[in-house]
Amino acid sequence: MGTLLISCTLNSIYPLLVHSRASCFAVHKNVSSFFKVWVPLKVQRFSTRVGNSYEGDDKRPNTKQKEQSGKVPHALPKSVFAAGTARKKAEFLKQKWGNDFDKALKGPRKPKENNIPSQPLSAAQWKTLKDDARASHHFEVSMMEKMLAANSDIDVAKSLLAYVAMETGTVSYELLLRYLTLCVHGNHESEVFDVYDIMKKRFKTLETGAYSLFIKGFSRTEKWRECLLLLESIKRVITPSPRNYGYAINGALLHSDSRTAWVLYEEMVEKGLTPNQETWQAFFDSDRSAHDSESKLSSLLLYMRNNQIYPGEALVKSIKVWFESVPGNKWNGSWTTPENSGHCRNCCSSLESIQLTEDEYNQLKEKVMNDVIQGKDVFKKTTPQELESFKSFVKKRPPFDVIIDGLNVANTTSKGNQSETLLEVVSHLAQQNLRLLVLGRKHMLRGSRSWDRKNMSVIQQKADCFFTDNISEDDPFLLYATLHSGNHCKFLSRDLMRDHKACLPDSSTRRLFFKWQRGHQLVLSSYTAGRRIRFETVPKYDTIIQTEENSWHIPYDEDGVERYSYEVPRKWLCLEMKR
Amino acid sequence: MRFLNTQLVNVLRRQCITQTPVLTQREGSWLMTRCLKTLLLPSSPPWRALSTAQRLRKEASQPSTDKLDLDLWKSVMKSGGDSAVVTQAEESAEASPLGAVRELVEMWRQAGKLVPENMTEEELQTLEELSTKSSRKKYLKYLALKEGHKKARKKKQEKKKQERAEDAKGSGEDEEEDGSRMKNTFLLQFWQRSIDALYNWRAAQAMQFGQSLVFDMSYDRYMTRREIENTVSQLLECEGWNRRALDPFHLHFCNLKVEAAYHKELIKRYSGAWDRLLVSATDRPHQEVFPREKLVYLTADSPHVLKTFDHDKVYIVGAMVDKSIQTGLSLANAKRLNLATARLPLDEYLLWDSGAKNLTLDQVIRILLTIKDTGSWEKALRFVPSRKHEGFYKPQQSEHKHWGKAEARRDNSRTQGAFVRHQAFNPKMQQTLLKDSRSGETAGKSKGKKNWWEEED
Repeated sequence: MGTLLISCTLNSIYPLLVHSRASCFAVHKNVSSFFKVWVPLKVQRFSTRVGNSYEGDDKRPNTKQKEQSGKVPHALPKSVFAAGTARKKAEFLKQKWGNDFDKALKGPRKPKENNIPSQPLSAAQWKTLKDDARASHHFEVSMMEKMLAANSDIDVAKSLLAYVAMETGTVSYELLLRYLTLCVHGNHESEVFDVYDIMKKRFKTLETGAYSLFIKGFSRTEKWRECLLLLESIKRVITPSPRNYGYAINGALLHSDSRTAWVLYEEMVEKGLTPNQETWQAFFDSDRSAHDSESKLSSLLLYMRNNQIYPGEALVKSIKVWFESVPGNKWNGSWTTPENSGHCRNCCSSLESIQLTEDEYNQLKEKVMNDVIQGKDVFKKTTPQELESFKSFVKKRPPFDVIIDGLNVANTTSKGNQSETLLEVVSHLAQQNLRLLVLGRKHMLRGSRSWDRKNMSVIQQKADCFFTDNISEDDPFLLYATLHSGNHCKFLSRDLMRDHKACLPDSSTRRLFFKWQRGHQLVLSSYTAGRRIRFETVPKYDTIIQTEENSWHIPYDEDGVERYSYEVPRKWLCLEMKR
Repeated sequence: MRFLNTQLVNVLRRQCITQTPVLTQREGSWLMTRCLKTLLLPSSPPWRALSTAQRLRKEASQPSTDKLDLDLWKSVMKSGGDSAVVTQAEESAEASPLGAVRELVEMWRQAGKLVPENMTEEELQTLEELSTKSSRKKYLKYLALKEGHKKARKKKQEKKKQERAEDAKGSGEDEEEDGSRMKNTFLLQFWQRSIDALYNWRAAQAMQFGQSLVFDMSYDRYMTRREIENTVSQLLECEGWNRRALDPFHLHFCNLKVEAAYHKELIKRYSGAWDRLLVSATDRPHQEVFPREKLVYLTADSPHVLKTFDHDKVYIVGAMVDKSIQTGLSLANAKRLNLATARLPLDEYLLWDSGAKNLTLDQVIRILLTIKDTGSWEKALRFVPSRKHEGFYKPQQSEHKHWGKAEARRDNSRTQGAFVRHQAFNPKMQQTLLKDSRSGETAGKSKGKKNWWEEED
């Protein structure tokens, strides 16, 4: 709740930006054909009316807010689902509460003692160093770790090993492993080979850490085929990691054996592992000159689409270069952002709609009903009687246009009375002749300081209301009512519904839910008691890699923008075929 | 490697260093290998040793620089390797299905990871079934820590044993010196078994007349095996605290399905004592055992606060450990059965700091025993772990702020608590008082039975 409150004060501080950015919500002018057929009249009515309210609000000047707008550090993103929003909010909170919190977490840092020798030492020198050290039994390994952290010269490490070999007659596996890490990180190929020979001779099997390091080390050398054997040895005990596969693939691609690389890639995907971005990048980079696996590369893009993975900036640059280097100079790529109307600013083609198809919609509805609301135990979130009564309540009434999460909206701002806030939002929406449903809990009706009986009765006149038991959750009801009222219906809440998304059984349903949520959730972007009510823009296009006959649109993660899993990127790459 | 004498290597090294200026590193290592071979393997032709020695002597005259042989360790490692491989190969000749996993664990141990030294077949099997690397590492860490604790405990026991033995020796010598000195028998020794008997009588009495406390054992399907094990540990502890209490509860384990995970684990942990334990275990659900209106489900998610402890109610505690917090599970159960629910007044008495408001079972039973005994939440809630709160509200403040009304009743129960304490020391009086206070049915029942102090007399 804390974050919600803060974020809305944030919005009230920076209203000028909000002015220019926030637009009306839920404009369904150019939505998918399915949707048009379904409720065309409603859509029309809905959008024009909302449009009016937008203009009316915009005209109102606000001097007080102008004064404060000088503090604006950076522009706010448009939507709670836009990449970077959560990060910015966190930073804002940190600023607001000062850095005490940060300091308290870290505490005073001890200066790390750094006694790594700068050049190789003789055995005697090492011995004195070891005698001086506090924890002498762990001296060699910790020294090697320090060297690794400081990225120091390999000769120093060698002299340490020489000392250890001299002293004990052998070098332990642990120390060898640390040394190997140092070699692999420092790109000392011949050393890696030597360590490999020694380890193979001394130990019958190695463990996963050493195998991984060898795969990485070998992938860059002419001995890269050794990687495949190492991969097999890992497979005997455990599924290799995507990184292991990635390096092996890298090795194959570097030595222009793309057949092996693709075999490995398919094997990895078959095992349910998600490839690394670097692996994909390697595929695009290596095929730049030959261009003999176009269909396979586009299958990579489709894989990303199907799993809602967004490429990072490095990868998307490789993709752009690859497309532009297709023989015949056919493709043209440019960086862009789509307009709110769902058109690409670059090529003016319209992007895929965020609305679900009827099949998808029904599937989602069923899944949400079964997994989110009922779940394993109906009693966990509600009771069967309550659920039944709600179902019949929704059934008896005509479809709603907006479902309001009463408690969430009421707590939008820390100032003012809760019931007044709710009443204001409800009457704002009711003015537009929308059919509203307000969900709340029974304690709201009891009458108290924050829940005024009069206000509540006005709300009940303007909207249908359903109050759940105080110990029941209201969000599942919100989702049910929204899904039940049809594709045009939206819900108003700041809640990101992450816990409900997590109840869904498989990732494809979760993605479907997220897509639906982005297209159907209204979020109050700015609320000032008595003056302004504004909603965040609901996008009309789906943010996902998409292709048509002669174009690709690829949303990607910018460098420096931390995107959380419930956010989508804002930047796109538009690739179009030249005519 | 054992036969590679350090002294010998040192000699070799000194010789090597002298010649490195002329040779590149690689050649140096080659020479080193040669040197070692000639010295270590008697089968090699003798002229090589001679020739190297000659060269060494020739170059010894050259001034030695500070250049070190950095690849010395490689030759050492390579030369000594043969024997190691052979022995290891022999060891793993028997190819068991879990061999690969065992080898992995062994190598992880050598790589300095936290893994146990010894693992049973069963543990290996569990390990093999885990699919991800991180889950395997976690499991191994758990086993390693467990092993560590066990070892530490053994060591401590051993030490104590030794000390005791030494003590006994010392005292024995004393006795010998003094001749036949008798033990002081002025006070009768109070044996542990007498204490046990006392505890058992109390428990038996509680089972007849005491207040019931139910542990709801219907959560096994929500828990992992380890969580069940933890739950049973906590139940053991609960039973222990209850047994030692002045006025114990009559414990009921309801919904305890025979041969289910809970039951198996309980029997395993109690071994033989399970059948002699003075608790009521039943597979019947609690709503069948007790009248519904008497039951109160204690759950952290309840909207109602337990203001006063009611000595006539039967409180239910969900026997569950949820490491990943499963909100509302016990509340759902209570809702399903339409039972009254309550939560402990943590917020009302404690300045809560951080941490979940669910408590372990042993904490709950200590709180309940204390509140039953004393009627003071301040005393009872002392068993909430102190890391979770910053202290109690000031007494007046809490009374004033939260419930002035409840205070009168609380005082009432406090007197009752004092009275209970008194009873516990005087069984005879307790019996008579109980006869007065209890319903005729229970009193009649107790009359028919032979009382334990009558036997004693």
